[in-house]
Amino acid sequence: MFKYIKHTNYPVNIKKKDLKMAKYLITQFGGPNGELAAAMRYFSQKFNMPDDYGKALLNDIATEELGHCEMIASMVCELTKNATVKEMEEAGLSSMFTEHGKGVYPTDANGVPFTVSYFAVTGDALADIMEDMAAEQKARAVYENLITLTDDEDVKRILLFLRQREIVHYNRFKELFLYYKKKGY
Amino acid sequence: MLFEDSDFDVNMSIFIPDVNFSRDNRTYNPMEGFLRGNMFADEYEPYKNLTYFKLVPRDEQEKMLYQIMALSFAINDFNLYLDLHPDNKEILELFKKYVTEKEILCKEYIRKYGPLEVSEVSGNKFNWINSPWPWDNLGGSLYV
Repeated sequence: MFKYIKHTNYPVNIKKKDLKMAKYLITQFGGPNGELAAAMRYFSQKFNMPDDYGKALLNDIATEELGHCEMIASMVCELTKNATVKEMEEAGLSSMFTEHGKGVYPTDANGVPFTVSYFAVTGDALADIMEDMAAEQKARAVYENLITLTDDEDVKRILLFLRQREIVHYNRFKELFLYYKKKGY
Repeated sequence: MLFEDSDFDVNMSIFIPDVNFSRDNRTYNPMEGFLRGNMFADEYEPYKNLTYFKLVPRDEQEKMLYQIMALSFAINDFNLYLDLHPDNKEILELFKKYVTEKEILCKEYIRKYGPLEVSEVSGNKFNWINSPWPWDNLGGSLYV
C-alpha cells in the first residue's frame, strides 16, 4: 500500500516562466532515463528479488522515484504557468499543446510518449540490478545536461538535488550487486 | 568473467556485521544532508563547482515545513542504507532519533497549519482537500 504525504521530496519554488526549459525537463518525467521509468523499473523488478536486502531496497527506491516524478511534473507545471499559446508556439511547444493542451503528459524532450520498453525485467537479479546501476548513471548524465541548459537558480538547485539522489541510488545498487555476486545469485 | 569485484571501489567489509565499522562521524545533520541530497559525507559528489543553494524560508510555516522535509529526507536516506545494513546500530539510532524529532515537529505543524497525511484531518470540514497541493506552488507565493 502507498501513503501520500502533502509535500514534495525537495522544495519546488520556481518563479520564472521558461517554456524551453519545460520542454527539455519533461524528459525526466516520461523519457527513457526519467523518473517514471525508474519508478516502474524497480517496482516491477522487486517481485523477483531473491532476499530481503533486494526486496527492501528496490521497493524503497521505487517509492522515492515516484516522489521525483511529482517533483519534475511540478517543475514543468510551474515553468509553464500562465503561458500564452503564442509563447508555447515560439518555444516549440505547439505540437505538445495540440495533443495535451496545458496538461503535463509524460514524454521525452521530443514529445515521444513514455513506454515501458524503456526498462527490462529479466527475472535474473544480477542482470536487473546491473540495469538499475546503468539507469542511475544515465539519469545523472541527463540531469547534468539539464543543469548546463539553465541559468535559473530555482531550477538548478532542484536538478542538483535530483542528480545527487541518482548518485546515492547508484551506490546502493552497486553494494547490492556486489553482495549478490558474492552470494552467487 | 567480465570483471572482478575488485574493479569496484566498494569495501566488501561493509557486509560483515558492524565489527570495527563506524560511519556516524561521516553523516551530515538532516538540513546539511537535505541541501546536498546526500546524508553521507564520503559519498557526496558535487557537480563541478556547484554544490548546493541554501533554502531561505519566507515565514514561520515554511521554515517549519523545511525542517520536516529535511528530517523526512534524512529518514529516507538512512532507510535505503539500512535496507542493506540492518545491523548498523549507529545509523539505526540516528534513524530512530530523526523519526522521533519529525513526529514532534509534525504534530505542531499539523495543529497550526493542517494535515500532511489524510489521517491527520481535524475540525468539522474535511480539510485534507485544502490548497495548496504540492504542485500548485507558483513563484513562491504558496507553501510547499
